[in-house]
Amino acid sequence: MSAPRADLPPAGDLPEAFRELTRAARVEAEAGRFAAALERLAQARELAAAGGDQDLVDLASTYRAAILIERREGEAEIPRLRAILVRNAGPRGCQFAAYNIARHYELTKNFKKAVFYARIALERSLQVGDPAWSAKCHTMLGNGLLADSHLEAAIGEYEAALRLMPAPTAVSDPNDDSDEHAAARATIRANLGYCRALQGRLAESLALLYPAARVLRRFGVELHEMSARLDLSFALLQLERCREAARHARRALAMAESADDRDGARNALYLLAEAANLAGDLAEARRCFARLQQIFYPQQPHLADFLLAVDVRKIINLHA
Amino acid sequence: MSTVQKIRQVQLVGRKIRQLRKARNLTQTELSARIGIQQSDLSRMEKGEYRVSLDTLFRILATFEVSIGEFFDSVARESLTPHDIALIHNFNNLPHEAQREVEDFIAFKKIQTGEDERSAS
Repeated sequence: MSAPRADLPPAGDLPEAFRELTRAARVEAEAGRFAAALERLAQARELAAAGGDQDLVDLASTYRAAILIERREGEAEIPRLRAILVRNAGPRGCQFAAYNIARHYELTKNFKKAVFYARIALERSLQVGDPAWSAKCHTMLGNGLLADSHLEAAIGEYEAALRLMPAPTAVSDPNDDSDEHAAARATIRANLGYCRALQGRLAESLALLYPAARVLRRFGVELHEMSARLDLSFALLQLERCREAARHARRALAMAESADDRDGARNALYLLAEAANLAGDLAEARRCFARLQQIFYPQQPHLADFLLAVDVRKIINLHA
Repeated sequence: MSTVQKIRQVQLVGRKIRQLRKARNLTQTELSARIGIQQSDLSRMEKGEYRVSLDTLFRILATFEVSIGEFFDSVARESLTPHDIALIHNFNNLPHEAQREVEDFIAFKKIQTGEDERSAS
C-alpha cells in the first residue's frame, strides 16, 4: 500500500509531491476508484510523516476520512479526526477534521452533533481566511439547522453562505451560473427555496427552486437535482399545482431509485401519492401510498389508509 | 370519494400527537426514547415547532398503533357539531340499501344545486 522509503523525494520537494499525490487521489476518487484513492493518500501521509510535517499528516488523514465518510464507512475515522481537534493542530487541519466529523453526523442524521462540529469548522475556516470553505461550513450549518427545524437560523446560514460564495463571472446576472461554483450555489438556493416553502412564501420558494433545479440538471449533480425536485414538488403541492408536483416527484423517484437513495425514494413516493390525492385521483394515490407502505413499512398495513385520510404535510420535513 | 375528501381536510399536527401520547399514558421521555428523538424535540413537535422525517413520523404511528377509526373518532369528537354526529349516527344505522339511496339522493341534490347555481348566474 505505502510508497517505499527509497522513493521519497527530498524534504524540500515534500509539499509539491504531497500535493501531487492528493491531487491524484482526488482524480481517482472522482472516478469512483476509491481503493486507488486511499492508496495515494496513504502514500501522501507517509511522505508527510517522513518529512516530519504534522500538519500535512493531518491533512492526508482528513482527506482519507472524507472519502470513507462519503462512502458511509467513516465511523472508525471519527476518533482520529477528533484527536486532530483535541491536539489543536493547524487551523486548516482542524477545519477539515471538524468539517468531516460534521459531514459524518449529517449523513448519519445526528443533526445536533453535525451543527456542533460545523460551527467549529466555520470558526477555523475564518481563521484560515478561506471564504469558499466558510461558505461550505455555513451551508453545512444550514443543513443541520433545517433538519432540526430551526428554520430562521437555517435561512441565516444559507444567506451567509451565498454572500461568501465566489461571485458568478457575469455579476450583472445573478442567475448566470457558468462558473465552477454554480452547482454549489444552486444547492444552497434550492435549500433556501425549501425553507421559504415551509414558511409559506411560495412565490419566493419557486423563484429559488426552478433555476436551482435547472443548474443542477445542467451540471449533472443528480442527487442534488433530485432533492431540488422534491422541494419543488412540495412547494407546488402547497399551491395545489398537483400535476406539476407529480411530474417533479416522478423524476425525483427515478433518480432516487437509480442512485439507491432510500430517503429520496420514500419522499418521492409520498409526494407522488399526495399529489394524486390532492388532485382527487384516489386510485393512483392509494397505489403510491400502498407502494410506500409495502417497500418501507411492511409491518404497518394501515399506513396507506391513514395517509389517504390524514394530511401530514404540516408535520414532516423532507430534509430531516 | 366525497367522504374521503371531506375527512382529508384533517391535518396531523403536534397537538394531536400529544393527545395520542397522553391517551397511551406515555411521557414525552418514554415516547421520545421509543422513536429515537430527543425529548426536547418531541416537546417542540407537540407545540408545532418541530417537523420530523417521514421515517420518524411512521415510527410514531407504529408506536401508537393508531387505527384510522380511532384517529377519526377523536377528530370527529373535536371538529363535528352534535348535529353532524347525529346525522352520521343515523346514516350508519340504516340498512345498506337505504344508505345507497341516501347517497344517490345526495348526488342528485348536488347536481340539482349546481344547475340552480348555473342558471342563476
